[in-house]
Amino acid sequence: MEIKYTLQGLLIYLTMAHYLVAFVLMLLRLRKTAGVVYFFGFVAAVVCYGYRWYHVAHIPMQNLFEVFLTLGLVIYPISLFCKRYLQIGDPATLATDMLIGFIVLFPTGFKFDAEPQRLPPALQSWLFAPHVAVYMLSYIFMAKAAVQAVCRLMGLRKRSTDQLLGAEMATYQMVCVGFPLLTLGLILGSWWGKIAWGDYWGWDPKELWSLASWLFFVGYLHFRHMFGKKHAYINSAWAISGLVAIILTLLWANLSRLFEGMHSYA
Amino acid sequence: MKELKRAVMWMAMVVIVLLTVLSIYGAFIGAERSQAFFNSVPLAVYWIFFALLLIVSLFLFRRLIRVPGLLLIHLGCIAILAGGLWGSGDGHKLRHKLLGREKMPSGMITVYEGLSENRVVDDKIRSAYAIDPNNNVTIYEFDDHGHPILLTDEDPRIFHLPFEIHLKDFRIEYYDPPHLLVGAADGKSWELKPIETDASFQLDGAASLKILNTYKNFKIDMDKGAYDDPHPGSNPAVHISITYPDGTEHKQYVFEMYPGHFGKSKEFTLRYVTQGMVKDFFSDLQVIVDGKVVLEKTIEVNHPLYYGGYHFYQSSYDDKAGRYTVLSVTSDSGLMLVFAGFALMCVGAVYHLWLRPIIAHFKTAKQRTAHGN
Ligand code: HEM
Repeated sequence: MEIKYTLQGLLIYLTMAHYLVAFVLMLLRLRKTAGVVYFFGFVAAVVCYGYRWYHVAHIPMQNLFEVFLTLGLVIYPISLFCKRYLQIGDPATLATDMLIGFIVLFPTGFKFDAEPQRLPPALQSWLFAPHVAVYMLSYIFMAKAAVQAVCRLMGLRKRSTDQLLGAEMATYQMVCVGFPLLTLGLILGSWWGKIAWGDYWGWDPKELWSLASWLFFVGYLHFRHMFGKKHAYINSAWAISGLVAIILTLLWANLSRLFEGMHSYA
Repeated sequence: MKELKRAVMWMAMVVIVLLTVLSIYGAFIGAERSQAFFNSVPLAVYWIFFALLLIVSLFLFRRLIRVPGLLLIHLGCIAILAGGLWGSGDGHKLRHKLLGREKMPSGMITVYEGLSENRVVDDKIRSAYAIDPNNNVTIYEFDDHGHPILLTDEDPRIFHLPFEIHLKDFRIEYYDPPHLLVGAADGKSWELKPIETDASFQLDGAASLKILNTYKNFKIDMDKGAYDDPHPGSNPAVHISITYPDGTEHKQYVFEMYPGHFGKSKEFTLRYVTQGMVKDFFSDLQVIVDGKVVLEKTIEVNHPLYYGGYHFYQSSYDDKAGRYTVLSVTSDSGLMLVFAGFALMCVGAVYHLWLRPIIAHFKTAKQRTAHGN
C-alpha cells in the first residue's frame, strides 16, 4: 500500500471517490443523484486517462497500472450500453458496476507502480492497442456476467423465480457480448505473436491462462446449450470460474514468479 | 440417432474441459516443457480426436450447417487444429518421410555483417559462433559443463537452407541521444547534450565543463596515446575538462562501459550514456540464390522477411560488438490454414452472438409495426 502524491494519483483518487460515493448513494436509494455522481466519476476517469496518455506519449495499455486504468475507464460506457441495449440496468446491477469501477482502480491507486515506461521493441505494433482494448472490454463484460451469476447463486431462496431467471439470462447475455471480444483478443494476440516473435503460439504461461479462460466460456456455452436452465446453478458456477481464470490470467501470470515467460512486462 | 448426438455432445464437453485442465497444467510447467508436452504423441492423438469430433458433429447436427455463425465457428476450429498439426515439428517430419520434402519447422540463424549464411541451428541448442580472420564462421555447442564442442556441417541439428541470407548492415536505435549525466555532491544533477567536440556547459556557476573529444571505440597505446579504433568493437568514451571558478582545470576520460574509472573528479560524479534503452534493431538483409540477389529487405522487430516458405524475424544481436544479427526462422507450413481458421472463428462468433440477435431484433420490431397498422 502506497499513496501516490502526484497529479496522476489525485485524479485516480478523485475517480474512485466518485464511484464509491455513487455506490453508497445507490444503497441509500438516491438513484438519480447516484447516476449523476457516477457520470462525473467517468468524466474524472477520462481526464485521468487522458493525462496518462499525454504523460507517457503512447496509448496507456502497457503495464498493469495502465491496464487497470483502462478497466476503470470503460466501466461507465459499458454500464450505459447494457442498460440501454440489453435492458440490464436495474439498480442492483448499476450499484455493482460502480463497485467494480472502484475495485479495479484500487490497485492503480495504491499498489501498482506508476513509473512511465517506454515501449520495448516487441510492443511497437499496431496490434498492441486493439489486442489489449478488446481484452479489457471483454473482461468487464465477463465480470458483469459473473456478478449476475453470483446474484443467481446467492438469491436462490430469497428472491422470486422471475428475478432468478432474469439473473441467469443476464449472465448468458453478458457472456454472449463478451465472448466474441475474448475470442478476438486471443486471436489478435496470436497474430501479433506471429509478427513479433515468429510464432502464433508459444505455449507461454500467459497464453495458456488466456486459452483456459476462453475455454471456460466455450464450456459454459456448450453446457448451457445441452441443459438449458435445468442446472442453472452449474451455469452460474461455470461463469464465475471463467472470471476467476481471467483474474488469474491478468494478475497471477504477470506477478507470480511461477510463470516466467515472455509476457512478464509489468 | 438421439443417443449418438447426446454422446457426441458429451464427448465435446469432455474434450473442452480436458483442454482447459491441460492448459492450466501447461501454465504451471513453463513454456519450454509445455511446448514439448503439447507436441507429444498422446496429445497428437488428442488433437486429432478433437478435430474428428468436430467434423463428425458437422454431419450430425443439422444446425451446425444451417446456422451460418455456428458453421463458421466450428469450421474455424477444424482449420486451426488442422493447420497446427500440419505446421508442427512432427508434421514436418512426417511429410519428409512420406513425400521426401525437406523443410525445417523452426530454428535460429546467425549472420555476420558483410557475410552470407544458410545454416539454421535447432533452437534447442545452446550455440556459440566464432569467426576467423578469413571470415570462416564456425558453430559450437555448449555441453552440460559449459565446454564448447564443434558442430560439423553434417550435424543433423543444422539445416541448410536452399538459399543464403546476406547481412549488409546491422543497426540499433536508442530512445535517447548520447548524453553525459553529471551529479554534484549537494544532490544537483545535469543531463548534458549534445555530446560534440568543443561543446561547453555551465554547471550553475559551480564549474564549467567542456567536451574535448569523443570516441566510439576508445583504445590507448604507448605510441599513439588515446585514439578511436575504426576496427569492429565498441568502447564509447568522452574526454572532458572541468574548469572551477578558481581557474583550476581538471581533465578526465569518462567511459560508458567502465563508470568510475580513471582520474575521477572529486566534486562531480560523471556517467556517459550512449546506449540507453533500445528502441529498435534493424538488419539490412539480402536473399541470395546461386550468387544472385533475389530479394532485399530491412527487417526490424515486428517486421519480418518472408522468402521460400520461411519467415525471418529479428530476434537478437551481438550485444558486445554489434558484428552479427540473430534471426529466428520459422516455416510457414499450415500458417494460412490457422489464420483462415482465426478469421472464420472471429466472423462466426461476431455474427452468431452479435449480429444475428440485432437482426432478429429489428425483424420483430418491423413485424410489430406491421401488425400495428
Ligand atoms: C469437439 C468440439 C465441439 C463440438 C462437437 C461442438 C458442437 C456444438 C454443437 C452441437 C453446438 C450446438 C449447435 C446448436 O444446435 O445450436 C455448438 C454450439 C456452439 N459452439 Fe461448439 N462444438 C465444439 C467445439 C467448440 C469450440 C472449440 C468452440 C469455440 C469457439 C465452440 C463454440 C460454440 C458456440 C459459440 C456455440 C453456440 C452456443 C450458443 O449459441 O449458446 N464449439 N457446438
